[in-house]
Amino acid sequence: MLELSIFVILALFMIGGSVAMITNKQTIFSAFGFLVAMIGLAGMFALLDSRFLALAQIMVSVGAIVVLSMLTILTINAKEESLPHEPHKYKWILVSTILVMPFTFLLYKTLSSFGQNFELTQSFTSKVIGKTLFTNWVLPFEIVSILLLAAMLGAIVIARKEEKEL
Amino acid sequence: MLSLIVILPFLSAFFMGVLYLSNTKKKNYAFYTLVGVGTPAISTIFSLIIMYDLISGAPTMHSTLFSWINIGEFNINVAFMADKLSGVMISFITFIGTLIHVYAAGYMKDDTGYGKFFTYFNLFMGSMLLLVLADNPIMMFVGWELVGLSSYLLIGFYHHDSKNISAANKAFILNRVGDFGFIIAISLLFVSLEGTAFTFASIKAHIYMINHDTLSLIGVLLFVGAMGKSAQIPLYVWLPDAMAGPTPVSALIHAATMVTAGVYMVARYSFLYELIPDVGIFIATIGAASALFAAIIASYQSDIKKILAYSTMSQLGYMFIAVGLGAYSSGIFHVFTHAFFKALLFMGAGAVIIALHHEQNIFKMGGLKKHLKLIYLTMFIATLAISGIPPFAGFFSKDAILVTAFASEHYIIWGVGTLTAGLTAFYMFRLLFTVFHAKTKESHSIQKVPLSMTYPLLVLALGSATAGFLGVNEAYGGNSWINNFLNLPDVKLHLSHSTEYLLGALNVILGLLGMGLAYKLFAQETQEPNQNTLLKQVIINKFYIDEIYLALIIKPLFLVSHFISKVIDPKIFDGTINLMVFTYMRLSLLFSSLQNAKVRYYALYVLVGVSAMSYYILFKLGEL
Amino acid sequence: MTPNMFYLLVSILFSLGLIGLVSRRNLFIVYMSVELMLSSVNLLLATFSKLLGSPDGSVIALLMIAVIAAEAALFLAMIIHLYRAKKSIDSDNFVKLKERTNHA
Repeated sequence: MLELSIFVILALFMIGGSVAMITNKQTIFSAFGFLVAMIGLAGMFALLDSRFLALAQIMVSVGAIVVLSMLTILTINAKEESLPHEPHKYKWILVSTILVMPFTFLLYKTLSSFGQNFELTQSFTSKVIGKTLFTNWVLPFEIVSILLLAAMLGAIVIARKEEKEL
Repeated sequence: MLSLIVILPFLSAFFMGVLYLSNTKKKNYAFYTLVGVGTPAISTIFSLIIMYDLISGAPTMHSTLFSWINIGEFNINVAFMADKLSGVMISFITFIGTLIHVYAAGYMKDDTGYGKFFTYFNLFMGSMLLLVLADNPIMMFVGWELVGLSSYLLIGFYHHDSKNISAANKAFILNRVGDFGFIIAISLLFVSLEGTAFTFASIKAHIYMINHDTLSLIGVLLFVGAMGKSAQIPLYVWLPDAMAGPTPVSALIHAATMVTAGVYMVARYSFLYELIPDVGIFIATIGAASALFAAIIASYQSDIKKILAYSTMSQLGYMFIAVGLGAYSSGIFHVFTHAFFKALLFMGAGAVIIALHHEQNIFKMGGLKKHLKLIYLTMFIATLAISGIPPFAGFFSKDAILVTAFASEHYIIWGVGTLTAGLTAFYMFRLLFTVFHAKTKESHSIQKVPLSMTYPLLVLALGSATAGFLGVNEAYGGNSWINNFLNLPDVKLHLSHSTEYLLGALNVILGLLGMGLAYKLFAQETQEPNQNTLLKQVIINKFYIDEIYLALIIKPLFLVSHFISKVIDPKIFDGTINLMVFTYMRLSLLFSSLQNAKVRYYALYVLVGVSAMSYYILFKLGEL
Repeated sequence: MTPNMFYLLVSILFSLGLIGLVSRRNLFIVYMSVELMLSSVNLLLATFSKLLGSPDGSVIALLMIAVIAAEAALFLAMIIHLYRAKKSIDSDNFVKLKERTNHA
């Protein structure tokens, strides 16, 4: 019962945050919505006994990504009038919603054909996660670190100012 | 040799045509004359050789050039057949044709289109010989059509005057109307005789396969073609207008040869027509009506060539009376004699026209017998022949026809024919006296007529005088040589000799009466007939037939075609196509607007696809 | 608390991300919608992990977070680059695909 109510609250957070993110005109407010959704997600992870994952989510997703996004948004600092003028925003959202509904339904139906009962298991602490990560999943771990390096370099290259010829 | 008779004129026409087209200004007088007159002469020699062989008892000759159509059972060869009927036909066609070619060399010598003329003229000769020598109905039809084409080309020879072009069109179109019936007849014949070869010999052998009603229909439809080609009622109206062509054309095509193609066709199909005597009576009736009708109109015409044109129509009516009543040989015999004196009459008329600087109204001529003696003499002989005065050719052939009519108890036809004979004498002598005897108020300067034009007249006069002796009846001491020779399925009649003498005498008397009446009215002073009574007005205006056709047939056709071209074509056909074009344009604009390079829209399209697939998977494929 | 609830939530979140991706012109919103979609998949992975009782799902989700971070860096770098080029963050302004080339 307790779990259910926590779930509902967190779900509302997530959905509410997402909707706010989608529909808001100002970019910053969308970013706030996103932040709320990510925090809700972290809570969900905790609810699912993946403690380490919840922490990692907060550190990376909330701490790094959202902060980075906000920094970028503030750097761009678009004025009210230079924001994209979207006269048909709600019409587009309505149409997309209608189009997406069969897909959602399909997705749900497909997913629900998988298991129906949660097994009572251990919770996934950092000890368990670490053990699995560095035994079974070492290779993907290494590759992801290379990926991060490449992404870092790429981001620098893409975002730097053009150098003027002297 | 048989095929050469047909091929040579076509070849010479081709070469002359090529030469003429390569240089229309240069007058290669010698070349064109040599080739243009020489080729028919060669054909004449060949034809006479073949005729001699046939008279000596040779069987029917065949000559196949090549196989033209070969589709399953439908096999048509380009092949020729010279049996006795074709032999007689090609003999006089080539002989008189060559004479007229000689005449034309003189008549047309100052014309710039000299080469073109002989090209067309030889084309005509080839076509006519093809028609007569064909061994199957399809080749005959090819010749039939080509003859019509040559007629069109030659009538419209003086093409700078648009009236001539109209006359040529009229001839061709009316011919076409007749050909419509002709083609249906041939098709019916082919369909009814499926499984057999389609040559005249084969059709004759298998004719019993066709039931009587189909046979009657075929007979009537074939005659429809003849109505057009041989100028009978109701498709005759092109013949007077066709006089717009040069006089040699009128002489050859519209007197001696092309117009007789219809009669030849009936004779060729005699094996068919002898089985359907009712259709024959119909043919004879039309012939009689045309003969009388034309004779009445001719009695009031003023243009020399038009009088002769109506006279041709009238004499053709006689020929159809003959073949309609089953006397095929008599019909062909009349074709034969008529070719001589009609060609002579036309050529004489041409000579008179040239002599008087292209004057064609007989009431503006007169007293020419002093100046144009030779022409007068020859035309006098021809007029006697056509009026049926013995011993000239027309008497024997016309008498044979009328005797047939009387003996087969078709008294009305006989009566009409006899009356027309009297009228024929009347209007022909009217022409002769008005042109040569009457005192004229106008004085003329006579132009010299070239010798090449007068010599053929002499030859033809000789023919008109003597050709009749080929078919003298037994009653007059002859042995109907031509009837026996032709060996066609003539109807056998019996008439006592005394009745025959009576009938013959009646014809002669009527002829002399006509001559006398014409002498009284026209040999002294003449004036053009004026339209002071209603009857006269109607006759002089040719019974207003042209106007009736215009109002009843041509104008409605124009209305229909106007409606179609102004209403149906732009609105319905163009409208439909324009609608399609418009739709395509709109659709293309729509589709091109989907490609607006905005990635967001492309993502939407992906979403649409995903949505459709999900929908399909969910609802159409059932539960997963 | 059955897995079905989580499945429902995942579906809704994914769809919301999809909607946001397609509807909005603002590039940041598009970016955040993509993140939302990826995060919903993470949730699904965690659910499976608990369902099966094996930590594999969580590990994959962990690695996914790293990938998401990398992608975020690049996405934001691109937005800055585009902003420098056109002074706009409206996706409808970037339509070089339909510009006509000069026929040489």
